[in-house]
Amino acid sequence: MPVTYRLAKDFNVAANIIRAQVAPNQIGKLVVELSGDIDQLDAAIEWMRSQEIGVSSSSREIVIDEESCVHCGLCTGVCPTEALTLDPTTFRLAFARSRCIVCEQCVATCPVEAISVNL
Amino acid sequence: MLNPLQQTVLQLGLYLFTGSLESVLAYLDLLLPTCMRTIAEINEKIQQQKAVVWTVEELKARVVEQGIAAVAKQVDVITTGTFEPMEASGAILNLGHTDPPIKIRRCWLDGVPAYSGFGAVDLFLGAAQSTETPEGEEPRELGGGHVIEALIGGKTVHLRALGQVTDCYPRASFETTITRDTINQFYLFNPRNLYQNFIVGVNGGDRLLHTYLGPLQPRLGNAVYSNPGAIAPLFNDPKLQLVGVGTRIFLGGGIGYITWEGTQHFPLQKRLPNQTPIGPAATLALIGDAKQMSTRWVRGCYFKHYGPSLMLGVGVPFPVLTEEVVAHCAVQDQDLVAPVVDFSIPRRVRPTFGLVSYAQLKSGRIQIEGKPVRVAPLASIYLSRQVATELKAWIEAGEFTLTEAVAPITSDRTFLPQDVWGSQMVMD
Repeated sequence: MPVTYRLAKDFNVAANIIRAQVAPNQIGKLVVELSGDIDQLDAAIEWMRSQEIGVSSSSREIVIDEESCVHCGLCTGVCPTEALTLDPTTFRLAFARSRCIVCEQCVATCPVEAISVNL
Repeated sequence: MLNPLQQTVLQLGLYLFTGSLESVLAYLDLLLPTCMRTIAEINEKIQQQKAVVWTVEELKARVVEQGIAAVAKQVDVITTGTFEPMEASGAILNLGHTDPPIKIRRCWLDGVPAYSGFGAVDLFLGAAQSTETPEGEEPRELGGGHVIEALIGGKTVHLRALGQVTDCYPRASFETTITRDTINQFYLFNPRNLYQNFIVGVNGGDRLLHTYLGPLQPRLGNAVYSNPGAIAPLFNDPKLQLVGVGTRIFLGGGIGYITWEGTQHFPLQKRLPNQTPIGPAATLALIGDAKQMSTRWVRGCYFKHYGPSLMLGVGVPFPVLTEEVVAHCAVQDQDLVAPVVDFSIPRRVRPTFGLVSYAQLKSGRIQIEGKPVRVAPLASIYLSRQVATELKAWIEAGEFTLTEAVAPITSDRTFLPQDVWGSQMVMD
């Protein structure tokens, strides 16, 4: 089913495909960013569910690879909300997810590529 | 003027002349506390697993409780460590000869150029060397540091070499994959490591700067320091009295040695009354077998829009020969300073905003011109501590003994800038 076509045509909802895992005659997974009128979005999601498409919402999240992180703390200096801090005693990196606004400045700052965005 | 030894001999001579054995013994007793134990005695205790070994942080805490003299009586060895980017590092590799043989003149390891202008199959791979990317391709954030880490981690690395054809080396090119087990020598030979102090970088300009200290945000948006302060090896031996050529150390998880003064070694830097330098000062050249090392302590890294580097764990043990050793190692973060340097002026001599203490830096915030600025370290204080702890464990287990230095590290090297020498053309 041409899902993104129907979303655009029937609901005027733009679907920006972030990740797709679709094979012929198999159940696939599509990560899409939907933008449009709020009522149209609700109607679009309702329509998808009626077509037996499982829909779950997700938000972008910062993920820290504990194996790669060297706890240098360079990211703590660019984090605008202080979601990333160094523990004052152990000097281990601490991440307060609730404070993170996913500005992603830490991703580019990390010298060992230990920080990525999960979606 | 008599030197101290002449004075001692004269004094002893006088006591002997006056015939009082007690006064001779009393005088010798006065001399004794200056040397509490020798390295040979400490090594004997290490081999019997009886040596008392403390990390420098344990030592600092105990000096606060008990004082220098009491602590000096108890402890034999103090371990220090750091884990920070050290881009003036690199690896020597010897590939072994091919058949027919090749004299390599250009070489790439995973696309990173390695220097080959010496032995036929000898290579030097610099940690800060960037990968070469074919035109039109996005440059990969990969460099010599990453290739060194991959080899240490036992991974396979692609090698491409071009040779100069001679009668004794007829081969023109060679392509293969190598691991650390399929090459002969593989050792780190780092011309400049272990900076005794460094700077704090800030950006007083109005655009984001990408530097070797990472991103510096405009209008004093952040500050970055890169030395772990009071736990760093050379802050605890400010005059380099306990290290020299031949000193055995912890390098990247294996055993290494100090080979020479480092490049840009500048022991004449201005110093505080506690003899620690107020900015970049002494440096050391280090060597060590990379085949013994571990990727836990040797990590390739990349600073966006600056380039690749290598994060390296280095640990240095200090023998407690005198109380003075303990006095130096008792130094705290509030007694150490670094200059705040403005990177927005892209010149050799950049303006500074004065000195700040490492205690202020580690608090995560400093004041610059009345404005609070967030500070982040670039050295991993967490892993620096683990280096000192790991080295302590080696010594306690009797696996690592201390060495006498073969030669001292020079203490009067000046630091020359490269200016335009000679007459300059003047246009009237």
